[in-house]
Amino acid sequence: MFWKMVAGALRRQKGKHVMIAFTVGLGVSLATAMLGVMFDIGDKVNQELKAYGANLNVIPRGASLLGDKYQLAGDDGGEAAEEVLAANYIREDELYKIKMIFWAYNIVDFSPYLTARVKVGNEEINLVGAWFNKHLSLPTGDEVDTGMASMKSWWKIEGQPVDEAFPDGVMVGRNLAGKLKLAPGSTFEAAAADSGLVKTLTVRSVFSSGGEEDDEIFAPLALAQELAGKPGLVQRVEVSALTTPENDLARKAAQNPDHLSRQEWDTWYCTAYISSIAYQIEEIMPGVRVKPVMRVAESEGTILHKTQLMIVLLTILTLLCSALAISNLVTANIMERSVEIGLMKALGATNLSVSLLVLTEMLIVAFMGGVCGYLAGLGLARFIGLAVFGTSVEVKTVVIPITVLMILAVTLLGSLPSLRSILHLRPTEVLHGR
Amino acid sequence: MSKNSFFLARMLMWSLLRRRSRLLIALLGVTIGATVLFSLVTLCYDIPRQLSREFRSYGANLVFVKAGGVGRMSLAELNQAAALLPAEQLVGLTPLRYESVRNHMLPYTAVGVDFEEARKTSPYWRVEGVWPARSGEMLAGSDVAEKIRLTPGQSLTLDGRNEAQERYDKEFKVTGIVSTGGVEDGFMVISLSDMEEMTGEADRLDLAEASLTSNSAALSEISAQVKARFPGLEARPVTRVASSEETVLSKLTALVYLVSLVVLSLTMICVATTMMTVVLERRREIGLKKALGAENRRVAREFLAEGLILGVLGGFLGSVCGLFLAGAVSASVFGRALTPEPQLAPITIAVSAVVTIVACLAPVRRAVDVEPALVLRGE
Amino acid sequence: MSESARNILEITDVSKIYGPLKALETINLTVPPGQWLAIMGPSGSGKTTLMNIIGCLDTASEGAVRLDGLNLAQLTRAELTGIRREAIGLIFQQFHLISYLTALENVMVAQFYHSMVDEGEALAALERVGLADRAKHLPRQLSGGEQQRVCIARALINHPKIILADEPTGNLDEANESLVMDILHNLHQAGSTIVVVTHAPEVAAHAERVIVLEHGRVVSDK
Repeated sequence: MFWKMVAGALRRQKGKHVMIAFTVGLGVSLATAMLGVMFDIGDKVNQELKAYGANLNVIPRGASLLGDKYQLAGDDGGEAAEEVLAANYIREDELYKIKMIFWAYNIVDFSPYLTARVKVGNEEINLVGAWFNKHLSLPTGDEVDTGMASMKSWWKIEGQPVDEAFPDGVMVGRNLAGKLKLAPGSTFEAAAADSGLVKTLTVRSVFSSGGEEDDEIFAPLALAQELAGKPGLVQRVEVSALTTPENDLARKAAQNPDHLSRQEWDTWYCTAYISSIAYQIEEIMPGVRVKPVMRVAESEGTILHKTQLMIVLLTILTLLCSALAISNLVTANIMERSVEIGLMKALGATNLSVSLLVLTEMLIVAFMGGVCGYLAGLGLARFIGLAVFGTSVEVKTVVIPITVLMILAVTLLGSLPSLRSILHLRPTEVLHGR
Repeated sequence: MSKNSFFLARMLMWSLLRRRSRLLIALLGVTIGATVLFSLVTLCYDIPRQLSREFRSYGANLVFVKAGGVGRMSLAELNQAAALLPAEQLVGLTPLRYESVRNHMLPYTAVGVDFEEARKTSPYWRVEGVWPARSGEMLAGSDVAEKIRLTPGQSLTLDGRNEAQERYDKEFKVTGIVSTGGVEDGFMVISLSDMEEMTGEADRLDLAEASLTSNSAALSEISAQVKARFPGLEARPVTRVASSEETVLSKLTALVYLVSLVVLSLTMICVATTMMTVVLERRREIGLKKALGAENRRVAREFLAEGLILGVLGGFLGSVCGLFLAGAVSASVFGRALTPEPQLAPITIAVSAVVTIVACLAPVRRAVDVEPALVLRGE
Repeated sequence: MSESARNILEITDVSKIYGPLKALETINLTVPPGQWLAIMGPSGSGKTTLMNIIGCLDTASEGAVRLDGLNLAQLTRAELTGIRREAIGLIFQQFHLISYLTALENVMVAQFYHSMVDEGEALAALERVGLADRAKHLPRQLSGGEQQRVCIARALINHPKIILADEPTGNLDEANESLVMDILHNLHQAGSTIVVVTHAPEVAAHAERVIVLEHGRVVSDK
């Protein structure tokens, strides 16, 4: 295509102009695509980083000491907290409020957890209740589907997913399934450790998480509440939110938001920092404590920041590159037309009118190239988005003025050296073949 | 013939030296192209490595425990197994030991770590105050600190019983409050040596966290090796960290590659268009040489030689500039020096020479095919 | 055959057709060695076309052109390039000097494409046109007349059988014009065959023979 266009450009009389338009187009398409990617990369990478799971833990105020007991191997410090835990729960029917904070749209997924101790045969096992495919209708009229599946992207699940539609369908950790000789499809009896209530459960799938959960059973929340004898209550909630990378303000606020000045507080509250989202959830749900998971929050910030910086640098490089190429061509084109320009000056044209004429011409050519380039750039951005993230990159409208400014600046700057030569051109010299 | 070659060299030299402004334009074009080429390729080479280091902020991705997760291992045992870890990919290795301790009759979990290494394997720990620097200093988890109102600078005494049921106690100074949003918030974090001294029992480790820049396949490989050579130990890849990193890192790398590829190809096209304009400007000269009786091939060869010189020169300058650019990018983005890849320089020079020559080829051919009378008559 | 061997240039029934336009119509012309011929005519009369055909820069649509006994119509483009190199010296109205080479080097370019560069010989050629002292100057440092003389030196350097000049004085003032005409006189006296295309009668007047073209036909020959 490129060679065809070039061949066409050379063949036609207007070849040079086509070439300038083409280069402007290339530059603009690249700039559009890169700017598009640049503005969108944060969201995209943020979305990707959700693979690391929840970045906020919501726990009842009294249970803070427990932390997230079920998160990491090597935790054996929980016995004392068992009693604290018993006294503190969060009401399940208040959870929808998480989706009603200022930054509601940044809440990607959330799921509550409630652990019930059950006996299967002689083994005493944790049965964890959670949301899997939960549908919520908010008072605002919004409909939300959420659950833990997308928050545990590293889990390998064999079999049918657990769903609220199958109240007795559970998924069993790999280690446990091996011990109890369970496979997807098989059924078993579980008795609540406290009340002795017996339920017949169906194994829908076997999962492996690489962590403690491999020795546990995951079930719809209602089942766990029934077995634990805690209807309508949950122990903790994991929330996965899109956040703005942490900075000094966010760190200051994380220690104590009350130490911020009024203006700082406004900025902090209206930015999707992990600490401000945590603060807003605490605001709307009294009696809970929201703890940012530092390993996820800090890392997200770092990686997002680095990636963004890298793309910004690449974009600047690209813009410089195309700017130089365009100004090269414009200069060459104007220099070549010295005879024509000399003639115009000989016929009485002022420097101003010649310069304006040349500039207008260049701008028209550049503009046409720019429009084509912009359209090509939209396609390019879409392509990059689809190829890398599987979703299209939406080019924000702010790219258009930037692009227009860029074309203007580059064409004008590119024409400057040649315009200077126009001013110094003496008609007699050119017309008499030097 | 040597006289003629000498004259050819003279012609080429003057063509490059006396047409300075035009030469500069072409050279600038080629140099910028080569700079972009060199720095992008260098960065592409380096970015997966660099990013992979950034991802280590998620913490340990390989955990050493006693086989089956039961019992404690000795330091010697751990060090033997740790020798299997590739040194250049190892970010940090933190041995951990947990003990139940008491303070004012209330039970807590104390964890003994090597603070130096812990900072490397768990860079996400947020410490209010300072990290302990000497013996007798400790960090308190944020939940603990809140519960018993600890602030940095305060002292407290930890006591307990060791395996031999002997009582011990030791006073610690809290230098900082650590918050991670994880289990550490409920811990008393002391140094491993203090813990050994306090309990009077050395060489007992519950687990060790390793942070490596290796991918998850390499981690599984290490895990398998440990299993085969040290049956008493187990190295568990932390699936959550390793597999998530795989997903995200591969996408980021793909993004950088793709963007670089696009930038590169467009840059090369820009170099090509610049060269074309430069050649097109000299159609009259080509016509004249033909009118003087030069064969097409000979004229074309002269121009290509000029292109070659430009390409090599631009490629060389570009490699030098590119090295600085890539270094600057690496320093500003990752805050780390770049490993220079000198073998990229000849490749850059070769590519820019080829691009320049190919870019010259089409317009030169076209100009050479035109009857000289057409070019020479007008204007 | 013996007659054609005597003539350096022999044109028989040559026509040049550009689409609907007949630039030249059945031209017949013979030029013996050593003659100074001027081709005159108003713009568009076909004189430049005729010169391009003689100078092997263009080919005739019909008819035969014999240069030194060789039929140009039967030659390939590569062979025509060879003839241009060996037998023809071209002088242009716009000089066409290579801007980045000195006067001396511009002359040497012709040697370079012909056979072998020889700086001494090139300098001698410049001396013949009175420019030995300007040998190291670039074209832009030379006046129009000087540039044209460099062009002449370049045309003679390979001892062509025929020198073709297209409006050689078109861009020159009177003083330079007479200088250039003097050089051509000297060349003529030395035995060179010269063809000058011009629309200026005072330039044509220097020639031994003047033909006038109008609408692609020879209307007078004296």
